[in-house]
Amino acid sequence: MKPSDPVLEDVNARQHQFEALTRAHAADLFRFAWWLCGQEALAHDLVQETMLRAWKNIDSLRDADAAKPWLLTILRREHARLYERKRLDLVELEDNVPENAAWADPERQGRTAEIRRAMWKLPKKYREPLLLQTLGGFSCEEIAAELGEKPGAVMTQLFRARQQLKALLDDDREAAHGLS
Amino acid sequence: MDCLEFRRILTATPHSDDPAFVTHRRECAACAAAWERAQAFENELMQALTVPVPEGLVDRILLAQTTGRRQRISRGRRIALSLAASVLVALGIGGVVWQQLDAHSLPALAVAHMPPEIDALNLTKPLTAQAVAAGFAGRNLALRGPVPAGTTYVHDCEVGTYAAVHLVTRRDGEPVVVLYMPDKRVAKTSDFDRHGWVGREMPMGTGSLVLLTDRGTRAPFDAVAADWRKAIQGPGADAEHAPLAP
Repeated sequence: MKPSDPVLEDVNARQHQFEALTRAHAADLFRFAWWLCGQEALAHDLVQETMLRAWKNIDSLRDADAAKPWLLTILRREHARLYERKRLDLVELEDNVPENAAWADPERQGRTAEIRRAMWKLPKKYREPLLLQTLGGFSCEEIAAELGEKPGAVMTQLFRARQQLKALLDDDREAAHGLS
Repeated sequence: MDCLEFRRILTATPHSDDPAFVTHRRECAACAAAWERAQAFENELMQALTVPVPEGLVDRILLAQTTGRRQRISRGRRIALSLAASVLVALGIGGVVWQQLDAHSLPALAVAHMPPEIDALNLTKPLTAQAVAAGFAGRNLALRGPVPAGTTYVHDCEVGTYAAVHLVTRRDGEPVVVLYMPDKRVAKTSDFDRHGWVGREMPMGTGSLVLLTDRGTRAPFDAVAADWRKAIQGPGADAEHAPLAP
């Protein structure tokens, strides 16, 4: 085929778009997936499935700014599908600190580890909007659209998420200092 | 915006750039301090949420994508090849079926019947009406009309598996083979050319009439067919569906 073949050019353009998309967002997707499922291997699979699904539908992505929310939406659906399929015990993670490389990093005993533990203790209804806001960069309106809720309700969830997170961190700190 | 509203927004959306929010932060030292603490906490939170990403994640995704793509392309090619093969097989089977069907068509059987009977075309002496009627009687058939003039040959034959009355009628000095098969009825009149024979098949009575000539023209067919229709179905009986009396 000649280099100027329009079909080949289209294929190459799609491939380049996909590669750029993957390089730009795979890390964020992985982190979001990790916070959804708490398992490194599963998070990896989720990201891969998300990107492969994105590849199949890449022609529907017209706006580069919409890429991240689009991918996160796909990822959440993949996670929900996986959960429905395997009935994995993924929701009841509030009291179970995940055990994997990400968790057992050198910062485990530091502030980062405290916050991570506290994050897992947050109810899912608070944790997920907080993740969408912090990792996803979603606005309240976008989170509301993603979760099928009203922006006011999301605002409340975000407020309570941070309140509870700080309370949990304070509890941890007091416990660590023998104050409780 | 009051301090309570500011703190509510600060807790829910610490990075808010709402003008009223920003203005209050500038005007209220306590809320500005709270904002500073909130930003520090957000930084800690973001750091905690930023779990390490496995090395080679992007490469593995791209590998899975390109491999899957190649597999899909290969699968697509296999499907295309399978389809092409299927089409060829279908065409082949269709061709064989068509050949089988064609080999058993009335024109094919009629033409195949000719070689052993070819000498009948050379007969020029007209038969008597009784002799022709006797030929039909051999197939338990009775003619209803006059025997066409110039009938030089009659014989009860088997054309393929069909019982037939084999006749030759001369028209303008040229012989025309007439095969009447009382038990085989074609749907419609149609002309054909096979192996040097020019022919026509048509429904007649309860069966079919086939006309053949090796002289290359169908010119005498209409007249010959009309004569035999009168003989088989009776004078004035133009209807193709008129039954032939046993």
